Amino acid sequence: MIEIRDLSLHLGEFNLKNINLAIRDGEYFVILGPTGAGKTVLLECVAGLHRFKKGAIFFDAADVTRLVPEERSLGYVPQDYVLFPFLNVSDNIAFGLKQSRISAAEIRERVNEIAGILGISLLLRRDTRSLSGGEKQRVALARALAPSPHTLLLDEPLSALDLRTAKSLRLELKRIHHQLGLTTIHITHDLMEALEMADRVAVVQDGRVEQVAEPEAMLFYPDGDKVADFIGSPNILDCDYSRNLGQGVMEVGCGSLKLTVAHEGADIKKVAILPRHIYVSETRPPGLSVNGFQGLITAIEPTSNIVKISLDVAGKALMSEIPTYIFDEMDLVVGQEVFLILRMRRIRIYESNR
Amino acid sequence: MFRILKGASGERIFRTATISALVLLALFFIGIIVSLLAYTKWDTFISALGSSEILSAIRLSLMTATIAAIISMLIAVPVAYAISRSSFPGKDIVDSLLDLPIVVSPVALGAALLVFFNTPLGSAIDDNILKFVFSVPGIVLAQVTVISALAIRLLKSTFDGIDPRYEQVARTLGCSKPEAFFRVTLPLARDGVIASTLLTWARAVGEFGATVMLAGATAMKTETLPTAIFLSLASADVEKAIAVIFVLILIAVAALLIIRKTVGRRYHV
Repeated sequence: MIEIRDLSLHLGEFNLKNINLAIRDGEYFVILGPTGAGKTVLLECVAGLHRFKKGAIFFDAADVTRLVPEERSLGYVPQDYVLFPFLNVSDNIAFGLKQSRISAAEIRERVNEIAGILGISLLLRRDTRSLSGGEKQRVALARALAPSPHTLLLDEPLSALDLRTAKSLRLELKRIHHQLGLTTIHITHDLMEALEMADRVAVVQDGRVEQVAEPEAMLFYPDGDKVADFIGSPNILDCDYSRNLGQGVMEVGCGSLKLTVAHEGADIKKVAILPRHIYVSETRPPGLSVNGFQGLITAIEPTSNIVKISLDVAGKALMSEIPTYIFDEMDLVVGQEVFLILRMRRIRIYESNR
Repeated sequence: MFRILKGASGERIFRTATISALVLLALFFIGIIVSLLAYTKWDTFISALGSSEILSAIRLSLMTATIAAIISMLIAVPVAYAISRSSFPGKDIVDSLLDLPIVVSPVALGAALLVFFNTPLGSAIDDNILKFVFSVPGIVLAQVTVISALAIRLLKSTFDGIDPRYEQVARTLGCSKPEAFFRVTLPLARDGVIASTLLTWARAVGEFGATVMLAGATAMKTETLPTAIFLSLASADVEKAIAVIFVLILIAVAALLIIRKTVGRRYHV
């Protein structure tokens, strides 16, 4: 267990104010917040890279506040990987192992094992400068994991990658987390990333922890306006009934709307979908459309780079967001009848009674 | 004022002007070298080059410059790292102070050193520990005084260019602060260290002002290559002076070539 108690730190333009967090053993803990919220500084405090006067950090029961980084046995992956350019991939991974007194043969064995887990066995002889972003990220992960740390710290591990690589690495990270059972603290500004990966999420804004909750609880019950604003007020629908259709698909009835969702389990009480995951179209979308509806535009509200569109769908009010450049190519006006699709994979489920 | 320099014609005029400056400067240096070559009588040149005086000056220069370069790197690496990475009150003042030897005339530095060795503390050192005044150690000290500031400047820009996060990552991987420096920062600074060593060494070979003040210009004893030029011209032996000039040019070219070869174009001075 990692515990941060009353941590306050003023560092340049960053200000951490009275941070209290407890991360459980084996947990995948995501710290979510906008750029400049102080997330990285917080992670660096856990890693021991900053000294601070107010507050304390505990690993299990031990106070590690005054310990230097090398005494904390953490695996740290900084945002842009920071691979050592004068070492090849294999020597980068072996870097931390060479600090412990183990034989060269054991080091080689461990490097091969870790490279196998991360699927980079073929890259071991390569120069790090010739690697792609996703490969660099895997090497940085391997380097951090090789000395068997008790906790893994990931600073925006996916933000520098292209969408496809980020998606596959997202699954990979979860798989490694399961395989190694490692406590992981993952920083991100991406809400979807947090929702998909986290066991629990801490929302940090302006150096303060605004909410700590399981992803669903945060989405359905944001604590305060700041969190709600950051999440971007999802469309939340109360459900009257749910029915298992098999093969991981359920049907839910939310008033007049009948939705198909990817879920299998207990009764669904509520569903949520973010405005950006509702697609609006003037013409009927081709092909079979799951969760396709028709609705009326009740309001159009342009902001800097997105346009918010309020819709009335069979008596239910929904909000959609589309990028301005796409909106400009369409001819949407208030009162117009449009087609919309609620992306099935993006619909979040809330099961418990609360 | 710059109205006539607008548009394509302005671009042409500007390019012509800058390239002309370059060509003029190149012609100036070529002219100097050609005049040296034209002035030289080759048989006397060869015999001057082989004379025991010149050979001893070459030996003395190479030896003192090498020792001075090693000493100043041993000083400059920690100093440059400290200035680059730490912040303390008065850092700017210390930083500017370290630049002084680059700007102040070497003759003044040498004279100041000579004055220092006439103080009670200085003469105690000179009498009891190591004799600097008018002796070979004085040459090394004079060279170190002049070149260490240059070494610090070059290395500081090297360390400034290294992201401190490399060391931070090394720390999280189990390195202590010194281990992180030797395992990460120094390898990252390799090119800069090689380039500044060679440049300061070449600068030490050419050092004259401070050397002649502190160590004097005794033939065959404290006679380095620049001192040899001075002594030759003072006794109107132009051939010998030219021979030494060529030796110095050769050493400088060799140093620059080695920098190019080992460090390549990655390091610009």
